[in-house]
Amino acid sequence: MKATETGQAPGGDLYDTLLKIAENTQTFQRLMTTDAKIAQSPKEVIWTLNKAKLYRYVPLVPEDRCHRTPLFLVFAIMNRPHVLDLRPGHSFVEYMLKQGYDLYLLDWGAPGPEDRNLCFDDYTLEYLPRAIRKIKSVSGSEEFSMLGWCLGALITTLYAALRPDNGLKNLILLTAPLDFSDKNAGGFIRWTTNESFNADKIVDAFGNVPGEMIDYGAKALKPVENFVGNYLNLWDNLDNAKVVESWHSMNTWVRDNIPMTGGAYRQLINAFYKENRLMNGTLELRGERVDLSKLRANILTVIAENDHITPPCQSEGVMAKIGSQDKELFRVRGGHIGIMAGSGAEKNTWPHIQQWLAARTV
Amino acid sequence: MSENNDSFNPFDPTGMLRNMRDSNMTAWSKMMIQFVNTDAYAQATGTMLDAWLTTSAPFRQVIEKITTQALANLNMPSRADVIRLAERLTNIEMRLDDLEAKLDEGARTNGRVAVSTRNKPNPAEKQP
Repeated sequence: MKATETGQAPGGDLYDTLLKIAENTQTFQRLMTTDAKIAQSPKEVIWTLNKAKLYRYVPLVPEDRCHRTPLFLVFAIMNRPHVLDLRPGHSFVEYMLKQGYDLYLLDWGAPGPEDRNLCFDDYTLEYLPRAIRKIKSVSGSEEFSMLGWCLGALITTLYAALRPDNGLKNLILLTAPLDFSDKNAGGFIRWTTNESFNADKIVDAFGNVPGEMIDYGAKALKPVENFVGNYLNLWDNLDNAKVVESWHSMNTWVRDNIPMTGGAYRQLINAFYKENRLMNGTLELRGERVDLSKLRANILTVIAENDHITPPCQSEGVMAKIGSQDKELFRVRGGHIGIMAGSGAEKNTWPHIQQWLAARTV
Repeated sequence: MSENNDSFNPFDPTGMLRNMRDSNMTAWSKMMIQFVNTDAYAQATGTMLDAWLTTSAPFRQVIEKITTQALANLNMPSRADVIRLAERLTNIEMRLDDLEAKLDEGARTNGRVAVSTRNKPNPAEKQP
């Protein structure tokens, strides 16, 4: 018999297939957990306030090869900032440390019920200036660079416009939601600016808006990809260790949702999405009008061409309004998170940011 | 992430099924993205959310009232009391941060003064 000649039992193929399916099922189940080792770069806490923590990363290159101007990373308020340091070998933080940057990261933390009234006024004019003061004190440099991503980019823009003389030299904005004039640009703005959507009622009911609700909203913008396609792709690539580990670390980060404070959510929907106050020049934080023409730092705006959360038009329009002399718009193929955490990030986005910054940093 | 197999192979039924699945997924995905981007969808989800929040509000209020009353009867702090306390702690933390900033500034100024004093030529040394 042929099967005997090859040393294989009859039905061996079927057995192998079933074994493979069982193995794949086990791997798949492991990947559904959120215990991947992410955010592994060594760092120390140098400042805390309420739930916020400021980290300084341990440098990877000798001091004489380091840039003296510190780089301050500010991520969104409704996700953990670990995506900036996703996993060893594929981490923006690690990449920049190897290039000799003195890196600081602000983790806003998970707000509690007592923080329900925190809004962009507080983040911009209370938390950020204090963290920056600490960075200046620790680094000994009066100048600093700042990188904001998603709502972190919104907060850093507000700060840069309100405190242009506080030493901010370079500002890097990643997928920054700033201009909400196009009410048909993407699902979020369409949903939130609809007359039936009442942000006040949501905040009154929940206090802080649950992270799961925000996460569901983001996933519902591309429902088939996020709820079905994502898992099918994983199943197809279970033999590929690189894809598997990458998927697991991303899944660990994505599922670690944190609530958004009620005050910030209310302000985001009403003042930004619905009334577009920043671009109209009518936005006031603690009685101070935010005037984008006062923003003088060198600015690099990175746009994700396939971004369904922050469509490109929400970042483009601001460039004409800001007062900086040195400004650049950089387009990258990819999505909201993919441009910084995807497989192509270390070939496209990271080197461009690094080169732009190196040319403007001591 | 998945491998894109464009070549047609009649002897690979699994591959054919996968291609069919991928094509269907792409079409389904495009259709759903278009669907969630319509005003009708925005209106429908907004209305449903609003209806749920409106109908659940009285229940939430009753539960909150009963819980607060029960905690008060047991001489225990309510959620609002704990929240107030946490807010006060945050304010204290901010004051401490202000103090730390002033101490830092003081230390830096003193450092500068000390450095400038050290760098100043000593008049006694100049004397012959």
